[in-house]
Parts: sequence; C-alpha cells; structure tokens
Amino acid sequence: MPVLNVRGATVSYGGRAVVRGADLAVAPGEAVALMGANGSGKSTLIKAVAGLVPLAGGSIELFGTPQRRFRDWKRVGYVPQRTGAASGVPSTAAEVVSQGRLSHRLLGTPPRRADRDAVARSLAEVGLADHARCSVDTLSGGQQQRVLIARALATDPDLLIMDEPTVGVDAETQAALAAVIADRIDAGCAVLLVTHELGPLTDRLDRAVVLADGKVVHDGAPPRPVGEHADPAHQHAHPHANGHSDSDDLWGGK
Amino acid sequence: MILEYFQYEFMQRALLSALVVGLCAPTVGVFLVQKRLALIGDGLGHVALTGVAVGFLTGAAPVWTTLAVTVAAAVVMELLRSKSKTSGDVALAMLFYGGLAGGVYLTGIASDKGVANLQQYLFGSLLTAGWSEVWTIVVGGAAVAALMLVLRPWLTAICADEQYARVSGLPVAALNLLLLVTTAVTVSVSMRAVGILLVSALLVIPVVTVQQFTRSFKATMFAAMAAGFLISGAGVLTSAVQDVPPGATIVLIGVAVFVATAVIAALTRRVRQTRRGHLPPEGEPLEVELPAKA
Repeated sequence: MPVLNVRGATVSYGGRAVVRGADLAVAPGEAVALMGANGSGKSTLIKAVAGLVPLAGGSIELFGTPQRRFRDWKRVGYVPQRTGAASGVPSTAAEVVSQGRLSHRLLGTPPRRADRDAVARSLAEVGLADHARCSVDTLSGGQQQRVLIARALATDPDLLIMDEPTVGVDAETQAALAAVIADRIDAGCAVLLVTHELGPLTDRLDRAVVLADGKVVHDGAPPRPVGEHADPAHQHAHPHANGHSDSDDLWGGK
Repeated sequence: MILEYFQYEFMQRALLSALVVGLCAPTVGVFLVQKRLALIGDGLGHVALTGVAVGFLTGAAPVWTTLAVTVAAAVVMELLRSKSKTSGDVALAMLFYGGLAGGVYLTGIASDKGVANLQQYLFGSLLTAGWSEVWTIVVGGAAVAALMLVLRPWLTAICADEQYARVSGLPVAALNLLLLVTTAVTVSVSMRAVGILLVSALLVIPVVTVQQFTRSFKATMFAAMAAGFLISGAGVLTSAVQDVPPGATIVLIGVAVFVATAVIAALTRRVRQTRRGHLPPEGEPLEVELPAKA
C-alpha cells in the first residue's frame, strides 16, 4: 500500500487549471522527486497533497485513507517553501522545532520527555544543537531552512514532504542535509521532494516525476546529471571545500 | 505622599483594575502581534461602542451587551477572513467603520438614556468603577491569562505559520476563533480601565516594547506581562498625583517607554555590531574560493 497515492488530481486557481489530471504514488521508504520548471504546477500539487489547496478533481490517499478523512497528520513531516525571514515576535530555534511535536501532544498538556528528546535530536541532526536558544531572526537563511527541516523531522514522519528545501542553501549545507535525509530514508521514511534543480539531495532518489504545464510528462528513473556531475568520481566536493573534505564535521565550520 | 492617595477606596479599585488589565492584556496581545493583527483590539474596540449603545438602548449592563456584540463581531471577522476572499485588513476596516457608525446611530436612538455616559467608555473611567466591576475585571483577566498561558505553544504555531499548523493537523480554525473571541472578551472587560479607544494599547505596547530585547516567544510573553503591569501601575500613580485621566496617562507612558526602548535597542545593536567587526554569522562557509597567496 503506497503512503501517498494521487489519482487524476486537478487543481485550479480562479478557474484556471494549474495541475491537470496528475498521478503520483510514493511507496513506503521510497524517495521521489517532483520536478519541473517554475510554473509547472509542482508546488501547487504538493500543497494539494498537504491539504492546503482544495482539489477540483481526482483523489488523494494518504496511508490508504482518503485525504478528507485522514487525521493521522503526525505521520507527515512538511517543510514549506521558505518565505522571507520570520519576523514579528522572536522565537528560538528550539521553539520553532517544537511545533513539530504539537500533533503528538494533547491540547494544553506540557511536553513529555519524548517530545523534548525529539526536538533536541532533530536540531542536532541538522547541526544546530548549539543554536537551539538563538532567535530564528538572527540565523542566516540557510540556518533558518535547516530549522524548518528539523521541525519536520521532529514529528518522526513516515512521509517527509519538502517544497524546494534547498533554495538559498549553500552547497556544503545541501550535502550535509542530503546525508540527514538519506539516514531517514534508510530508516524507512518515504520522501517526496519538490525541486527544480539537481543537487546532492537528488542523488539518493529512487524515482522522479516531472511535471510540465500541470501534466505528468515523465515518471521513472531520475534525470541523469550531465557534464562534470556525470563523472562517477565526482563527489560533489566543491572547490571551497579545499582540502577540508576529510574533516569529520559534516557541517563545515563550527 | 503617594500612599496617601490610596487611602481612598476608589483609588484602590482603580489601581487593582489597571494592574490586572496590564498583566493580562499582553498575554493575548503577544499572539495578535505575531499574527500581524496588532490593530484588531482597536477594531473590536470600535465595535464595543456599538455594544455599549445596545446597553443604553436596552437598559442592560453595558459590559454584557459589549461582550455579546464584540464576540459576535470577532466570529464574523474570522469567518470573513478564512472563508471568503476578504483579507484581514479589509475585514478590520469594516469593523472600524461599522462599529463606530453603529455606536453613534444607536446612541442617537437612545438619546434620552444617558448619552453623556458614552465618554466614560470611550476613554475609560477607572475612578468610578464599583467593586463588582473590579471583580469582573479580575476574574475575566485571570481566565484569559490562564487560557493563553496553557495554550501558548499551539497558539504560537497557528500565529507564526498557519499553513504548517494545518498540515500538522492542529485545529487551526477553532484556535483562530478562540484567539479572536478571547480578544473580544479582553476588550469588553478592560474597557472600564483604559477605555475602548485605548484598550488596544495595552494589548500591543508591552509586547512590542519587550520584543526588542527578547530572543524567545516564552520570554517575550512573560516580560510583556511584567511590562504591562509596571506601565499600568505607573500610569495610575502618575494620574493620581497630577489629577488627570488614568487611561490616557497609562497609554502615554506606554508610548514613551516604547520609544525610549526602541532608541536604546537601536543604539545597543550599533555598538554590538561595531565590536563584532561585521563577522559573518558563525558556521556559514564562505561561498567563494579565495585565491591562494603566491
């Protein structure tokens, strides 16, 4: 039974169909990329899967349950597209990540040990353990993105949905994030990744679904990298790693 | 000296109500600021005017008619915001116009029933409050603060990132409604203290003052409660000494404290930056390869 099964999904904004009859299935433990150019409808489709925009046609099943009746959202980790720097009232990285545990807690109850442990573990996984008590506003763009990914990991998802998680993230952090995600895939977590570029995160994919103009035009092997990226010896060690690649610090730097 | 003023029971009542409102209003305001609805308190304040006028018209106690009308307006506003394409600020604008017009219209109809009283609701009249009104403020304030403190993580989640909160399966619609209804209760209950037109100030000013120095949401919430408590207390004392209306004094002190802290915060940031010598944030690798020195 697939963890996600989308059949003939159609989504329209103001009468214009942005996604037109798309099929998309993700099996347990499978890593799938949803690719396509800007405006191809990939972000819209992912929002429909997450229940943020309504379907005009077709059906979506999560863990075998129709989306309308699906209540077990704590099995889904969601990383939204980052929208500008967070502002308003300051929040620490740990406070943002602990939002990922709210679906595990009964309304109005204090966090249990398992909740606190999950928050600390996810922050450590993305290399921000030292920044847990920092205000998110003071973190760099790449670090803020890592906070959002940690929040999704904290819920211990069986399906991780990520919308363009690597936009504005430097190459080294991308490689480190890819390692974190790969660990989760190995542990049996299914991944659905929206992206418009190939990078370290796409190396570990089982399959890619390519959208063009709201329709699925490819569902199968992930697109092969071309140029120097096609060289099997190419380790994504970028020039600025400059001999520090033997460092055991995944996150380069601190 | 200052203590002399508090041998009068009406001064004790005024101080107690102001302190409770100052302590409790920021617990709601912190979420409104996070949600970028800082003006909602004022919007519901305008609607409260209609509520007071309904009280005049029907002869019922204005606190209760105000509560009913503002809660109803909060529900309508949330439905407009979430179910239709009306944006938050348009819905807010409707509250301002409709509330003010409704108040003036209904007071016009009830013109034989003590319109002179309207001013005491507009600008507050702490000094004329009776003990029963003070206890309404204390009980209402305690209930509001307790609810906000217990639900802090959930309300933070829906205010900071509503889409994420929906995907995590939180009861977003119910929590949004709860927040607006609580705001309505706060406005109705505290209109006695600072007045309908100024109540928004005690929701917002303590929060925006302390958030310049805090790093976490939790610290912001507690510090804002302390700031609201101090500002209200200082306002009542000052107004007693100078024999001026307490509501306006509280708000003016709040605004002055905000401006002062904003200046101090800007200066400290500048000093810190100069000391740090503009180092990049730690842990971020340089994005370019530096040419090796031959």
